Amino acid sequence: MKLRVIDSSGERGIPGALNMGIDEALLGSVSRFEAEPTLRFYTWSPACVTVGYFQSLEEEVDLEACRRSGVDAVRRLTGGGAVFHDAELTYSIILPLSHELAPDDILESYRRICSGLVAGLDRLGVEASFEPLNDISVGGKKISGNAQTRRGSCLLQHGTILLDSDPDRMFSLLKVPAEKLKGKLIEDVKSRVTGLRSLLGREVSAAETAASIKEGCAEAWGAELVSGGLSAAEAKAAASFAAERFSSLAWNARR
Amino acid sequence: MIARKDYKVLGGKLIRVELETDAGIVRRAAVKGDFFAHPEEAFERAEAGLVGLRIDELHSSARRLFGEGPLAIFGATPEDIAFALEGAAREAQGH
Repeated sequence: MKLRVIDSSGERGIPGALNMGIDEALLGSVSRFEAEPTLRFYTWSPACVTVGYFQSLEEEVDLEACRRSGVDAVRRLTGGGAVFHDAELTYSIILPLSHELAPDDILESYRRICSGLVAGLDRLGVEASFEPLNDISVGGKKISGNAQTRRGSCLLQHGTILLDSDPDRMFSLLKVPAEKLKGKLIEDVKSRVTGLRSLLGREVSAAETAASIKEGCAEAWGAELVSGGLSAAEAKAAASFAAERFSSLAWNARR
Repeated sequence: MIARKDYKVLGGKLIRVELETDAGIVRRAAVKGDFFAHPEEAFERAEAGLVGLRIDELHSSARRLFGEGPLAIFGATPEDIAFALEGAAREAQGH
């Protein structure tokens, strides 16, 4: 099994709308058989809150607080909840549905894809396990959330691997049902979520994490990873999706 | 009349329903939340299928619409969604 790898984890982060635009462009090129199955690693700059496909950005996110803090806000192509993307490595994988990592059974495909992340975390010295449906945890605390969509003949799964978690900042950007609940929610996240830096007790970069995850994926999936980049057509499509979909009110305020 | 209802599913997901009714008929319905549904378009078709229903048939019809293949929902059941919709409908009726 051969996978193209596009790794920008050692470079400056990418704005949220463009990150989501690149993922959608890759979904298009792989589904048209113009590109090989692709594994991508990236980071975000500025920090960004994304919400799930079925969520309302306006109901979930304090958009004014985001503006004041210079944080982007984008609705994803994938379901799930609101995520604050800052100190993390993010990956996406785009596969035809005929691929062995993309069986019909959605839970099983999460399990197979996440096995590469678990093996990569193991290489960093972190004993992680897959937690159905779509999480990876260490010692009972979540370190990675993952979300999948299937469009046409393709699967897109993207997910995070936390380097650090900052629930105080995250909840300053999210709307909570009642202000008095905020303290409890922050404490709850602190007790349920962890990051690589606190687990390893040292500075860990997104690029170092990506290097280990690549090795883990190659081993767990029996894959040959081939370093590559976006084609000119993919880069053009990504910029167009970023501007016309993920920066637009029509998309972000649709639900 | 517009009614909103949040329903926390056992296990953590939050379903947020928005229901607009007029003379006991659903005019607009939105089922939002942090769940997953595959394919997403099938979920939106089920959601659109709520429009025009009588409030008293909302629960049973929602269970059927959101329970039909090929739609697969993770993190909430068709029953959960029907329950949240019924709660919003009751609010719309002033109960």
